[in-house]
Amino acid sequence: MSKFKDLESYVSAEQYNLLPFKFDRLNDQEYILTNMVGEFHIIPSQKLETIIGHRLTEDDSDFANLRAKHFIHLPKENAPVELLALKLRTKLARLANFTNLHLFVVTLRCDHSCPYCQVSRQSEDKAAFDMTEQTADKALDFVFRSPSPGIKIEFQGGEPLLNFEIVKYVVIQAEERNKIFNRDLHFVIATTLSLLTDEILEFCKAHKIVLSSSLDGPEELHNQNRPRPGKNSHQKFVEGLDRARLALGYDQVSALMTTTDKSLPQVKEIVDEYLRLGFHEIFLRALSPYGFAIKTKKFMSYDAERWLEFYKEGLDYIIELNKSGTRFVEQYASLILTKMLTPSDPGFVDLMNPSGAGIAAIVFNYDGAVYASDESRMLAEMGDKTFRLGHLAENTYEEIILSDALLDALENTFTLSVPMCSDCAFEPYCGADPVYHHAIHKDIVGRKPESAFCQRNMAIFKHLIGLMRSDPQVKQLFLRWANRC
Amino acid sequence: MTEHMQITFDEKSYNVEAIQKAAYRSLNIFTVDISITDGKINCLLQPNIGTSEAGFAHSVEEFKKDVLDQHLRIKLKAETEPIRNLILGIAFSNTGLQGGE
Repeated sequence: MSKFKDLESYVSAEQYNLLPFKFDRLNDQEYILTNMVGEFHIIPSQKLETIIGHRLTEDDSDFANLRAKHFIHLPKENAPVELLALKLRTKLARLANFTNLHLFVVTLRCDHSCPYCQVSRQSEDKAAFDMTEQTADKALDFVFRSPSPGIKIEFQGGEPLLNFEIVKYVVIQAEERNKIFNRDLHFVIATTLSLLTDEILEFCKAHKIVLSSSLDGPEELHNQNRPRPGKNSHQKFVEGLDRARLALGYDQVSALMTTTDKSLPQVKEIVDEYLRLGFHEIFLRALSPYGFAIKTKKFMSYDAERWLEFYKEGLDYIIELNKSGTRFVEQYASLILTKMLTPSDPGFVDLMNPSGAGIAAIVFNYDGAVYASDESRMLAEMGDKTFRLGHLAENTYEEIILSDALLDALENTFTLSVPMCSDCAFEPYCGADPVYHHAIHKDIVGRKPESAFCQRNMAIFKHLIGLMRSDPQVKQLFLRWANRC
Repeated sequence: MTEHMQITFDEKSYNVEAIQKAAYRSLNIFTVDISITDGKINCLLQPNIGTSEAGFAHSVEEFKKDVLDQHLRIKLKAETEPIRNLILGIAFSNTGLQGGE
C-alpha cells in the first residue's frame, strides 16, 4: 500500500472563484492578465473566456500558475485574499510617509543656454533670481513638517553653484534643525559641474552632498545640446567629474541625459560615452514638454514613435553589453521592472498613482512660490501657474498641502478611476501624470488614446515583457535590475 | 476621403457601456455615434480627419474585439467587486488612516 494518496485525491471538487484582475490583448494570440498588485500572467487568447466563465480545469497548464499568482482561488482558501492585501499594503506603504524629496530652486541663473532647458535662463548677474535666506528658512520650516522619516533636499537651478552661499546656508540650517527632528537627511546638488571649485567640493565632502549632473553623450552632441560661453560644456563636465570623484568618491556623482533630435541616431555612442566615463547606468529620457523645449519647438522635433525606436535600440545595445560581461543598467526599465517583478514601488514621480506631484516631491522656487513638481514650476516659468500651490510667505503648510490645485490634480487623475486607465492591464506599472497631460492636452486627465505618455509607456511595458519571454538570460538580467539595492 | 461605417449590435447580447468604452479607446482614429432602435445598438463610425483607409479598417477590427473585451471586463468587475473591497479593507485596516480611531 502506498504511503501517499493518489494525485486525484488532491483535486478539488469545488469550482474556483475569481480574484480581481485586469486584462489586455498583448498581441493577436495572447492576453496579459495583471492582478491588483501587478503580478502578471500571459494566456492564449481563447482561454480568457474559459477562465472568466469558471470553466478552466485543474489539469490545465495555466491553472496552477493562475492560482499561485492570485488570479483565482478555491472557495475555502483565505490566504490569497490576505496575501494580496499584504502585497497591496506594501506597494502603497510609501504614501504614508508622504513627501520625501524637497527641491530648492536656489537660482534661475545659469552659465549654459540649452535650447531644451526647462526653466527660463537668466544671465549670471541677475541676483533678482536668487533664493534669499528668509525664503530658505521658510522652506526649511515646510520641509520638517513632512512626516517622512527620510528627507532628501535637492538643489536645483539654473545652476545652483551660482548661488552656493544659499546652498551652504540651507545645508547647515537643515543639519542644525535635524538634531531635533532626527530624520534620515540627504543632500543632492543638480549641477553641470562647470563651476566646481575646491571650496565647493570640500563643503560637499564635509556634508556628504551627492552631485547629480548632466551628460547628453559624446562631446560634439553634448556641446550642441548644451551651449555655454567657450563652447566647452563637455570638457568642463569631464574635468568636474574627475575632480568630484576624487574629492567625494567615485559613486557620488551621477548623470542624467536628455534626448534631443540630434541624439536619436546616436544612442550607441551615447551609451558608449557613459561607459567611457565610468558610469554603470543611464536613464534614456524623452524630452519633457516644458519650458524652452516648447518655446524653441524642440519638443515637437520627434514623436513618441521615433523616441521608442531610439529607446529600444539603446536597450538592445545595453542588453548585449550585459551579455558580454559589462554591467550596465537602463534606469527607466529598472524602475518599471521593479514595479512588475517585486512588491515594491520605487516611487518614481512620473509613474506613481496617485500622482507623485506634491506628495512624493515638492518644489520651492527661488521666489518662495511652491509647486507640485519640477515640471510644474517649468510650466509656471512659461506663464501657466496651474500647479502653483501657494507661497511660503503667504500660506501655511496645511493651506499648501490641502490646496485645491494639489488635491484636485491628485483626485481627478487617480488611474483606478480614469477612463481607459481603470481597465488597463498595465495600470499597475503606470502612473498619473497630471502636469504632462495638462501641458500637452490642457486637461489633467487627458484622452489616453491620444496621449504620447500612454503610447510611450504601453509600448515599453510590452517590450520589456516581450524581451523577458524571448530570452531567459534577459529575464535573469531584468530580475537583477528589479532587485537592485 | 475615408468613408464612415455603420455597425449594429444586438441589445440582448451586447452591453451599451461595453460599446461606449470600446469607442473611447478608438477616439484617436474615429468617433462613434451610438443610438438604440428596436433592440439594436447602432454605431456610426466616422474616421477622424487625416485617418487613412487602411488605418480606419484596422481600427474597426480592433473596435469589434474591444467591444467583446469590454463586455468581459464588465462581467469580471461585477463578479469580483465584493472580494476587491474585502482585499482593500484588509490592506487598509489598522493603518490609523480610518476616521474616528
